[in-house]
Amino acid sequence: MDELIEITVTVNGTVHREQVSPRMHVADFLRRGLGLTGTHVGCEQGVCGMCTILLDGDAVKSCLMLAPQLDGREVRTVESLAEGGELAPVQRAFKEAHGLQCGFCTPGFLMTATALKESGRSLDREEIRDELSGVICRCTGYEGIVNAVDRVLNGDAVGVEDER
Amino acid sequence: MKPASFEYLRPESVAEAVATLDLYGGTARILAGGQSLVPMLGMRLMRPGAVIDINGLGEELGRIEARGSETTIGALVRYSEAETSPVIAERLPLLGTAIRHIGDRQVRNRGTLGGAIAQSDPTGEVALVALTLGATVLVTGPGGERELAADGFFVGSYANTLGPEEMITGVRFGVVPSRSAFFERGRKHNDFAVLSLAVVATPESDGTWHDVRIGMGGMNDTPVLARAAAERLEGARWDEAALAEAATLALRDADPPEDVRASAEYRAHLLPIHLGRLLAGLAKEPRHG
Ligand SMILES: Cc1cc2nc3c(=O)[nH]c(=O)nc-3n(C[C@H](O)[C@H](O)[C@H](O)COP(=O)(O)OP(=O)(O)OC[C@H]3O[C@@H](n4cnc5c(N)ncnc54)[C@H](O)[C@@H]3O)c2cc1C
Ligand code: FES
Ligand code: FES
Repeated sequence: MDELIEITVTVNGTVHREQVSPRMHVADFLRRGLGLTGTHVGCEQGVCGMCTILLDGDAVKSCLMLAPQLDGREVRTVESLAEGGELAPVQRAFKEAHGLQCGFCTPGFLMTATALKESGRSLDREEIRDELSGVICRCTGYEGIVNAVDRVLNGDAVGVEDER
Repeated sequence: MKPASFEYLRPESVAEAVATLDLYGGTARILAGGQSLVPMLGMRLMRPGAVIDINGLGEELGRIEARGSETTIGALVRYSEAETSPVIAERLPLLGTAIRHIGDRQVRNRGTLGGAIAQSDPTGEVALVALTLGATVLVTGPGGERELAADGFFVGSYANTLGPEEMITGVRFGVVPSRSAFFERGRKHNDFAVLSLAVVATPESDGTWHDVRIGMGGMNDTPVLARAAAERLEGARWDEAALAEAATLALRDADPPEDVRASAEYRAHLLPIHLGRLLAGLAKEPRHG
């Protein structure tokens, strides 16, 4: 049996003290350990980006980190976005700009876009595509996703409030 | 859970990390950014007895230092930090440019320069830049510290001269030529390269070019220098004939591999075309400013 390691981690504002196996990756820990199944798992080898979360504010692929590495860190998942049943601006932008079809990839894009928004950088569409290239979508063809993120970052919104 | 069982250890210093590597007699692996190691654990391509997580050693390994003519980058400096570092932008623009071609934002937020050199991917951008700029790899092991020239460090596909009980603490760069250019062709955006090229040189006021170095990625088991091509251009005026000759001479130092990304023939086809264009672009840049 694996020796379990005790970690203290803040996830979506709640402090958790948990015993984790070092063999478990962070996406499994969030999904199975904490029941936060909004973080999706596609490839488990770092290429699809479905599992993107924010680690101390940076977008990272949670299948490429071991659960004990979370000790002392702050994590945000897609569950942190909507508040009181109200979609966050980034989620509304995806809805209005047709940034999703089946929705499987959406948590990965939403978290990547959230980090971009919080970075305060203003990006053109080419740069947006580059920054989003770590998440794969098999449905949309990306145009709607880029439109949604463009709205969020650059605020030329139709019915989407600019958060800044 | 996909990896085989291992001990997870978090040393508090480089000295402790090296002592732990020594204790496990070469069966332990360092965990830096995890962008290569964690997938390899999952696929059980690696079954280390222990994983030594060095992410807590930012104090010792996380700095970018400019001292005199030298720039030293700690092993734990992440790609994203290097990408936005004013020191690197000013002193090592080639490295800054090359790093933007690595993986995607998420990978660059975690992946480290030390990890990239240790991984020694034959198409790795950091390895290519270190070789082209004649960098020095800084290593600590049970026997003390060693300095290894990047030229000679990479000995095969994913292979280098680092001992199993040693770790990389950083990479040091000296003065670099004033001009540089980088090119990469991959199968898809930000994928590993099929061909990557790095060129540095210093133009003189008499129209000749000096300190010419040309590095090639994806053209061999390791990044390699195009020595014959660089020799042709050293001290020469870069007219059309010289550039065309040099672009073809690069094939002399290439032995392109055949893999899932491209055939050897396709790689050999791409090399002179793209090296020719890259050199021509550099030659056309205004000399001052
Ligand atoms: C989707 C994706 C795309 C990628 N694209 C590219 C690309 O285009 N170009 C590219 O070059 N790479 C690419 N990578 C790999 C990435 O650059 C890795 O980050 C890098 O190869 C290893 O760095 P790391 O810090 O993540 O090391 P880790 O994964 O932690 O370690 C890699 C290896 O190096 C060893 N190691 C790490 N640090 C040290 C040290 N200080 N001393 C001794 N040994 C050490 C480990 O034991 C392990 O064997 C990609 C990865 C992914 C997931
Ligand atoms: S599940 Fe993590 S990148 Fe695919
Ligand atoms: S909406 Fe289906 S994968 Fe992106």
